[in-house]
Amino acid sequence: MSTSTKSTPAGIDPRGPRFGASITAALLLITVFLALDAATLGAAFGLLVFVTASFAIGAFLGNSKHPYGLIFKKLVRPRLAAPKELEDPRPPQFAQLIGLIVAGAGVVLYLVGLQGGLVYAAGAAFIAAFLNAAFAFCLGCQIYVGLQRIGLIKKF
Amino acid sequence: MSLETRIALVVGLLALAVAAGLIWRARTGLSKHVTSGEVIDLAEIGAVKNGQPVTKFGQKVTFLQFSSEFCTACRQTAKLYSELEQVHPEILHIEVDITNRVDLANKFNILQTPTTLVLDSRGRVTSRIGGAVKQQTIQDELGSFEI
Repeated sequence: MSTSTKSTPAGIDPRGPRFGASITAALLLITVFLALDAATLGAAFGLLVFVTASFAIGAFLGNSKHPYGLIFKKLVRPRLAAPKELEDPRPPQFAQLIGLIVAGAGVVLYLVGLQGGLVYAAGAAFIAAFLNAAFAFCLGCQIYVGLQRIGLIKKF
Repeated sequence: MSLETRIALVVGLLALAVAAGLIWRARTGLSKHVTSGEVIDLAEIGAVKNGQPVTKFGQKVTFLQFSSEFCTACRQTAKLYSELEQVHPEILHIEVDITNRVDLANKFNILQTPTTLVLDSRGRVTSRIGGAVKQQTIQDELGSFEI
């Protein structure tokens, strides 16, 4: 069996994070649309701040405190069959952290006057959220080891 | 920017994401043949199974799976291999967590987890599977080892 020496936290329903990712993807696509016109750029910024805040909650407080996680738990999961298996909450939490960094970069770029950066950040975050929602793409699987190899993540 | 252009750009972005997803799904979990692969040193990779160091390879084939901490697909892949070795005693599944082993990630050029190295009875790498393994990939591998 598994050789991991660390204790694994209690499992979560894997459909929860994917439900949240679909809402996030939809919001980010709207953000991109709004950011493409000067008249609605301010609204795009507001929406991206909201998405960034939701990533921050997911990254630091976990999926159980995440507003979409709560919506899923209260409204969606009672209507679904029990999940076939539970999943480790740490990979989706790591994905939220990456989302926070990317969307947060868009917010910062906007604030320092580089307003074009907002649309690229929202676009990149959209692709990741969409792949997660539609294809069960797991960001941690794909990039964690790579980030560690180039020295961006250090763990002891 | 005109409304038409904005809609076209947003639809284009959506199409790009769908295309990326389809390509990723088609390519992940496939096996790539390795010619003149190296022989794995079980002590060097720190292979541990059920709390005991692993000293022998599987009778016919060993699936050496590299995993990391933030990896959902690693659990699913480990489960598939575990079920396989329950049915076929000539198969060995070893899972190595490389979260703290950047040296191994560099040595075996691992970019994603899970990455599985398929080893023959002498521990030589014969193929490499990047991503969550597909059922068909497993069947093909077993076929090539006459299992």
